[in-house]
Amino acid sequence: MMRRRSILSGEGTSSRVNVTPMIDVVMVLIVFYLLVGQLATDRRARISLPPSATGVEETQRTDPIIIGVTIDGIRSLNGDEIQLDRLEAQVSGMLARSPATPVRIRADRETPHRFVRPVFNILREMGVGKVELVTEQRP
Amino acid sequence: MSEAAPPTRSRPLRQRNIFGGKGRFGPNMTPMVDVVLVILIFFMAATTIVGQEWFLEADLPEQRDDEAGTSGYELPTPMLDIELFLRDGRVLARGMGDAPVPIEEAIARIDAMDAALSDGLILRIGAGDSVPYGSIVAVHDAGNAKNMRVAIR
Repeated sequence: MMRRRSILSGEGTSSRVNVTPMIDVVMVLIVFYLLVGQLATDRRARISLPPSATGVEETQRTDPIIIGVTIDGIRSLNGDEIQLDRLEAQVSGMLARSPATPVRIRADRETPHRFVRPVFNILREMGVGKVELVTEQRP
Repeated sequence: MSEAAPPTRSRPLRQRNIFGGKGRFGPNMTPMVDVVLVILIFFMAATTIVGQEWFLEADLPEQRDDEAGTSGYELPTPMLDIELFLRDGRVLARGMGDAPVPIEEAIARIDAMDAALSDGLILRIGAGDSVPYGSIVAVHDAGNAKNMRVAIR
């Protein structure tokens, strides 16, 4: 007759639960999801930021409004693609809820200005007097 | 008649021997530490490769519309007004002298400006349709380095 296995106790067996495989698996899963999330974001953004030497680092705690513009002129609002005609309504809604929210422009360094200018103009018309241009720290 | 069972006494915990041996108890932390270190190295490497993001502040002044007479705030003088445009595949800057100069020359002239002149000066940047956004940021960066207040037209 087989003896029933006890994972907690038993005669002549280890008295502790072996959590090593569980930790291994959980950690591998975490790493996997982090990597996949990162890759997915990169693929969606496809933005090569312009370099700068005099920028300021992140200091504000409030979540900013991030408007992305790719080299092809595809615009995004907080990571989600958006058409220019819907941008104003969305951003004004966000600013109405939280007027102090900073607005950031995250455009590719090679994006022609004709794709970025309409975004500036919309913000200007909404009364946004100041924007933050996202850049990459020059090495 | 059976005798009453003797009172059970919980087994005292054995003292942990941190140097290993039979007395060790508790979860094995080694694989967790391994994996955490791998994650740490991964993110450190990723941060180095990607580079840190930071921000340049830019004003968005209202465009002057003479016919409509808009009442947006107006930029105070003195002001350095630079217009970037593309010619033969090169980005040129108008506003840094009589004739347009290559953007590199414009940035060099801004760098060479006297601090007494450049501090607090308004640098207003305009650009043509095809000018790459990176060129605007490059001029903005040069103005920032000289404590100018930068506005984008």
